[in-house]
Amino acid sequence: MRRPLLRLVFAVALPALLVTVWWVASAGSTDVYWPPLRTILEAFPDVWTAERLRGDVLPSVLRLAGGYALAAVVGVALGTVIGSYRRVRAVCEPVLEFLRAVPPPVLVPVIMLFAGIGDTMKVTVIAAGCVWPVLLNTVEGVRAVDPVMAETARSYGITGVARLRKLVLRSASPQIFAGLRQALSIGIILMVISEMFAASNGLGFTIVQFQRGFAIPDMWTGILVLGLLGFLLSVVFQWVERRVLGWYHGLRASARRSP
Amino acid sequence: MLDVRGLKKVYEGSGRRVEAVRDLTFTVGAGELVCLVGPSGCGKTTLLKCVGGLLTPTGGEVLLEGRKVSGPPPGMAFVFQEYGRSLFPWMRVGENVELPLRQKDLGKARRRELVRDALESVGLADAVGAYPWQLSGGMQQRVAIARALAYEPRVLLMDEPFAAVDAQTRADLEDLVRGLWRERGITILFVTHDIDEAVYLGERVIVLSASPTVVREQLKVDLPVERDQLHTRVDPRFAELRTHVYEQIQAAKKGVVAS
Repeated sequence: MRRPLLRLVFAVALPALLVTVWWVASAGSTDVYWPPLRTILEAFPDVWTAERLRGDVLPSVLRLAGGYALAAVVGVALGTVIGSYRRVRAVCEPVLEFLRAVPPPVLVPVIMLFAGIGDTMKVTVIAAGCVWPVLLNTVEGVRAVDPVMAETARSYGITGVARLRKLVLRSASPQIFAGLRQALSIGIILMVISEMFAASNGLGFTIVQFQRGFAIPDMWTGILVLGLLGFLLSVVFQWVERRVLGWYHGLRASARRSP
Repeated sequence: MLDVRGLKKVYEGSGRRVEAVRDLTFTVGAGELVCLVGPSGCGKTTLLKCVGGLLTPTGGEVLLEGRKVSGPPPGMAFVFQEYGRSLFPWMRVGENVELPLRQKDLGKARRRELVRDALESVGLADAVGAYPWQLSGGMQQRVAIARALAYEPRVLLMDEPFAAVDAQTRADLEDLVRGLWRERGITILFVTHDIDEAVYLGERVIVLSASPTVVREQLKVDLPVERDQLHTRVDPRFAELRTHVYEQIQAAKKGVVAS
């Protein structure tokens, strides 16, 4: 019973400390751009009403979900093809290196030209940024399938779709999840940026609106919401990962016990 | 049952040409347990992979029941030395054993029955729901053997399956293999570098030369069918056979130095 309690204390200690520091440091602040935390927290429930959550947070989250899902599917599918065939890899590698090096935010103006300023543009921007870590990690994961396991599958006639589902993707899944994790934080950044360029709703749009209207405490609450959203998504991600990669963590723990 | 005729395997790559197997001819009769033993690095694994259809021989052919082997045939099952890398760590023991059966046209009930029966035969009926990495090395190799049994092969190929387990486990596993062989009447081709193991297990021992490999001698093991670790290993006949094989292998090693 003491263990989980102790873990909770450890988890909460640093955030509590930081909030306290912020609270104390900003307590007497008269600077317009740097309002006391107290003021920000008081503004919070007034700003983030149910209506605003529905009107601004939900569209943002849906765009993120759409772009992220698209990136995951495309990244894993292409990555599996590229990772499986040496020839394809030789052809694609230079192009991939180039595309990966392009910072995703610069894609926003370009994609706006083709996809307009609606939701399609935002989903495309998020997908275009998120796809690279998923793709490149999938390629590495698929390439690294253990030769003994591959031979085992072959000797038992496990080929085609069964081989892909039961061997290749499962074996690459720890790498794929590493890519998905990176993609998640890139996705949140691109969600906000794409909404700052051209939008009529969304979290990024709202924060910029507050800033332009000199509603500084409201702007700060928007940043807090973004932080909370990121935290929540990461908790969900970890929960999914623990389910899917339970075997991997167990395997690693058992390897550590008996080297 | 199994005919190996004039088998030859040459590896070619980066300007080096390695003749691993020169000219091998032998047969294994239906229901026979034959051990292949040879000096270290004599191409035993190469040979077995050619027999199992995992490697394409450079010359000669392998016939299983009169049909040429040109890929892993459904009537053969392989047990690898690296049990830890041959079982899929993302699947539980039961799923690992069942996976090859899914490629065959079998009903669910029949598959279940085969899995249960195979795991019972190796004494691991309780481990169905465990992950391979939760088991000891010897138990993992038992699971790999169960997977091969459930596949209902006519020929079982075993590539130094006990080289990586401790001596006591090894003795148990040797008895297990002999027991299964007697119970089920499968044909077994067992590759080992351990002379005692070859004589203890085999009904016939084929001694290989050093690489490039040819058959040096074929030896009938005229020990009683009923064998056990205590008495068989102190049998004077066992000692004679063992000494004979040992001499042959020593001579095989010297043969390389001389030529």
